[in-house]
Amino acid sequence: MSDHVPIGKLNALADGELSTDQLIWVTDHLRSCPECTSFALEQSLLKSATMRAGQRYTPSNEVVARMERMISSQNLSRSSDEGKRDSRRSVLDRSAQWNVWGGWIAAACLLFLVGGVGLVKINQYGTQTAAVERAALATEFGDQHIATLAAGQPPQVLSSDRHTVKPWFQGKLPFTFNLPENMPDDMKLNGANLTYLHNRPAAQLLYSIGRHSVSVFVQQQTSGEGQTVQVSQQSGFHLASFHTKDLSVTGISDVEPARLTDLMSRIEQAQTK
Amino acid sequence: MTLLPWKGATHEVGPRSSTFEDLSLPLLPALHNVAHWLTRNPSDAEDLVQETLLKALRGFSGFEPGSNFKAWIFRILRNSFLTSRSGLAARYTVSLEEELQEDSEGRARLYPESAIDRETPELNVIRLADRSAIHKAMEQLPPLLLEVVLLCDVEEMKYKEIAVVLSIPIGTVMSRIARARTHLRQSLNGITSTKELHT
Repeated sequence: MSDHVPIGKLNALADGELSTDQLIWVTDHLRSCPECTSFALEQSLLKSATMRAGQRYTPSNEVVARMERMISSQNLSRSSDEGKRDSRRSVLDRSAQWNVWGGWIAAACLLFLVGGVGLVKINQYGTQTAAVERAALATEFGDQHIATLAAGQPPQVLSSDRHTVKPWFQGKLPFTFNLPENMPDDMKLNGANLTYLHNRPAAQLLYSIGRHSVSVFVQQQTSGEGQTVQVSQQSGFHLASFHTKDLSVTGISDVEPARLTDLMSRIEQAQTK
Repeated sequence: MTLLPWKGATHEVGPRSSTFEDLSLPLLPALHNVAHWLTRNPSDAEDLVQETLLKALRGFSGFEPGSNFKAWIFRILRNSFLTSRSGLAARYTVSLEEELQEDSEGRARLYPESAIDRETPELNVIRLADRSAIHKAMEQLPPLLLEVVLLCDVEEMKYKEIAVVLSIPIGTVMSRIARARTHLRQSLNGITSTKELHT
């Protein structure tokens, strides 16, 4: 049995993943081993058959058109501000041909008026986008917390020791954070997972307060100022968030808000150490 | 640091939007195909693709130009699937046995050599020509193995890219591929035997 090429190598051969040295070694072996040759051939046939059969579903023209429209509309809404600025510029060009003084005064008034409206619009757009982003993120916190509860599987790092949990993220996250010590008896760290929120890596710290489970998501803060713990609600869960200069931290649980705030405050204080 | 392209990303969405269109639209059929396989439902697949595109567009500022867009967007698709209704359902119906076959480091154990049925190639060539049998065998794959087959065989991604999409080590990619193909061969064997019995 040990004379045969391992199955992993034969798969890598079919997938074109062998290094030159490995390829030479496997090819040499295949010359003298009909069994491995037959198996390698079969793996290649299986791969090509799977490739053909796997191309099973094609989106209808209607679906493609809908997706294209959706991407275009998203792009349009983002570039609409630029478009408004362009049209304003052309109005100003025409006004330059008027009576020199009257034209300039009219242009200045127009610029002031349209610029003001534009600024208000940009502000409104920015506020709306931020609100949508916040709501989407809150939904994602809820989804991930529910998924963790429903899975009933042990966390990726199963430990109540902060000296085990924190180093586990080393090399996995582009930032670091501290975990609090001296917690009350009924408040304990159960472990942590590496997760993704809005396609950015995040730490999901799993705590329990009494019989309630708490997920605390720690992400890198990309912009903005620090902010102390604030509580909100999402689908029956309480959310408590705080931001430091580098971190954005949100806890979610069905535990009473005061206990959740207590935990979050302890985590916040740990960041200043 | 290539593994962390989002680190220190700036938010300049506007000027790069057309590039997103150029990069994502050619991948639409592939995204749809994989989404349909994973969700096993056309409307869920459409929702999943739409969600993926929206998330990708929103996070496009974090994408490093010149890096692998296909791996990046497929990772978003896969993560979106895992948190979707059908993804959660699929994840929790994976048999315990399948889960236990991964060791403490997350690597799946290889099937022992004795488990490989080295049959006559002629028989299997006949089976491999039967597309519906392969569809059926693929449908019987557990989600963890189906996704690796879709990425490796259907999307022809390299092991390194698959590791990025699934956020697992290359060794785990290799062992999942081995398990998936063994699973496919065993399923094809069973399907063909059943057909022969009925004819």
